[in-house]
Amino acid sequence: MKKTTFLLLAVLVVFLGLASICTAEEGVTDTTIRIGQWGPQTGPAAPWGAVARGTGVLFQMINEEGGIHGRKIEYHMFDDAYNPAKTKAGVKELQEGIGIFGWASGVGTAPGLAVKDYLMQRKIPWVGPAAGSLHWISPPQKYLFAVYPLYYSEAKILCKYAIEKLGKKRIAIAYQNDDYGKNGVSGAEVELAKHGMKLVAKVPVELTDTDMKPHIMQLRKARADLVLLWVAPGHAVRIIGTGRAMRFTPQWMSTSTCSDFPLMMAISKGLWRGVITGSFAQLPDSTSPLMLKYKKAFEKYAAKGERWGVFFYAGIGFVEPMVEGLKRCGRNLTRERFVKEMEGIRNFKGIFGRIDYAPFDPNDPYCRQGQKELFLIQCEKGGKAKSLTGWMEPD
Amino acid sequence: MDMKRDYYEDVRLFGSKVVLFWFLVLIAFLGFFPFLFRNYYVYLANYMAINVLVAIGLNLLVGYTGQISLGHAGFFAIGAYGTITLMTSAHLPFLVALVLAAIGAALLGFLLGLPALRLEGPYLSIATLGFGLTITQVIGRIGFFGGRQGLHAPELTIFSWHLDSDRDFYYLLITITVILTLVARNLVKTKVGRAFIAIRDADIAAETLGVNIMLYKTLAFAVSAFYTGLAGGLYAFVLRFIEPQIFSLLMSIIFLAMVVVGGLGSLFGSIAGACLLSWLDLELRNILSIPYLGGWLEALSKSYFSITGVSNIQLIIYGSIMVSIMLFEPLGIYGIWIRTKLYWKTWPF
Repeated sequence: MKKTTFLLLAVLVVFLGLASICTAEEGVTDTTIRIGQWGPQTGPAAPWGAVARGTGVLFQMINEEGGIHGRKIEYHMFDDAYNPAKTKAGVKELQEGIGIFGWASGVGTAPGLAVKDYLMQRKIPWVGPAAGSLHWISPPQKYLFAVYPLYYSEAKILCKYAIEKLGKKRIAIAYQNDDYGKNGVSGAEVELAKHGMKLVAKVPVELTDTDMKPHIMQLRKARADLVLLWVAPGHAVRIIGTGRAMRFTPQWMSTSTCSDFPLMMAISKGLWRGVITGSFAQLPDSTSPLMLKYKKAFEKYAAKGERWGVFFYAGIGFVEPMVEGLKRCGRNLTRERFVKEMEGIRNFKGIFGRIDYAPFDPNDPYCRQGQKELFLIQCEKGGKAKSLTGWMEPD
Repeated sequence: MDMKRDYYEDVRLFGSKVVLFWFLVLIAFLGFFPFLFRNYYVYLANYMAINVLVAIGLNLLVGYTGQISLGHAGFFAIGAYGTITLMTSAHLPFLVALVLAAIGAALLGFLLGLPALRLEGPYLSIATLGFGLTITQVIGRIGFFGGRQGLHAPELTIFSWHLDSDRDFYYLLITITVILTLVARNLVKTKVGRAFIAIRDADIAAETLGVNIMLYKTLAFAVSAFYTGLAGGLYAFVLRFIEPQIFSLLMSIIFLAMVVVGGLGSLFGSIAGACLLSWLDLELRNILSIPYLGGWLEALSKSYFSITGVSNIQLIIYGSIMVSIMLFEPLGIYGIWIRTKLYWKTWPF
């Protein structure tokens, strides 16, 4: 009799053990949550790699404070050198090797698109890709939460300010001939049409263009009094420099990708002064309690030689909504629960603008677009940024 | 041991029964591979197989015919873009689109072969370099090819077989790779291959012997481009998303490095070179997690480099491996293999 009871008990224990293993979510244990991220640490896109290191500092800070509901974050970051084949390899290796609960941020459109289907098919959450592409939300994906405001919205906000506050009449755009640039063009066109205006010139810039004289000629011929620079930082600086040499000095405006003013001033040798850009996050010298807290964590955990720049703390901002979602889940952390809690996020404010999500609706891309607002800043002497507006949302 | 007694013995696909036996063992291993290793390694094998196809194609041109190319990323791009657009715009089935795209690449390869009739060495490398750079520029500016925004690969179905996992794709890819490797082996062992080699060794002598230089040089470019185009079409489905930036100059150089590191003028070398460099490309990322060595490298980096310096160690090691192979064995991995074989055959002398 005793033997049978013992056997029954043993079977029960084994079953319960197995059941608890089966119900535990992938990447979550009693004491840890595994989160992954890719980012270029080598190669031409390496400056953007600061995003992934910023996220690392945020997680270190959270772990120091005791983690999220008793679970520490185990952060797995790898270098993909902005090569989609490597991104896919790294994501698969970590996902299938150790099991990742969800993916945070990740720099670049091409690397992200190479793994999007893989993650979505496996129903693995991914929050805050570090690229303002429409691909993330069109069509919206249940497990993919975008944070970065759309370039389309940014163009609308900049144009509105140019017309209403600066009284500009002849607006032109120099745009990178890709997704990024074209989103800028369409946003500008829509906003100008609202005021009965048109772009006086649309000048495409190829990634490989080095001589900017033809571009400046076109802009000058159109007698533009304000030019939007929807290009990469290197090209933006080159256009302004060539413009100066050719005595063409309109008001320049650019995007949040060129809003790291100390960096822009350094590479433009001071020519960036006076340029107006959008900003999706608080300024580096902001004294808000949250920014000060993060800066303290940066000083404590960041490696030697790291700079407190926009890319670095953007890595914190992109992941704030994810941390909020994890906190809301409590101890009972599953992917489905996480998605449900993310959908409940309204009026969330970290160091970025306001973030809202909504229950999944395949026909509403904005249910997965967290941040919509931006504010405008102008570059001053020494690369300091002056806020021109409060947070603005396109109408 | 290796003495051949007649012509037919020389052109045989498998030199001996032993070679055939090991070939069959390899095929059996490849067949069971996805069941023995986890999915990530299947993806790695797919990546390697694609590079093997490119390396074989490029070796036919560089190693066997003695013509250099720094523009193979261009053929690779044509294969990738051609396959996807033929599937999405002309609604052709995958295999038809893949072969047509590869034929398209071969036609361009033939055209590129024409200037090669008059150019040699560094001049030819500049011409092919220009070709590779132009292709991505042109594709990037044409809206039909998705411009700089890239293209998504459609769902992959062959008859009623829906390939949606790495394992399904692996079987397709390995079948194609094995068949094309055998085709290449047959090619180099018979008339065409002999003509290629004759051109490489002394083109004037070859011409006096009746080898049609124009035909065989352009043919070498076309065949090489066909292999690369086919590999490109398959690569598009490994990534499932392509954009012009992927097919950079660096890609062409890595392709050439695979052939040189593996061993010029050897199919075994192409396979070994492609596998080694693809493996290093994807796996060196983990160098910091190697016990002892990883910790030591990290400490070294922290005291002498900046934080991003540590990631560059993988590139330094990648480079040093290539340099040391070339330094100690100019024939590449194939040379090491020959030396090892010779050592054991003559052991203990």
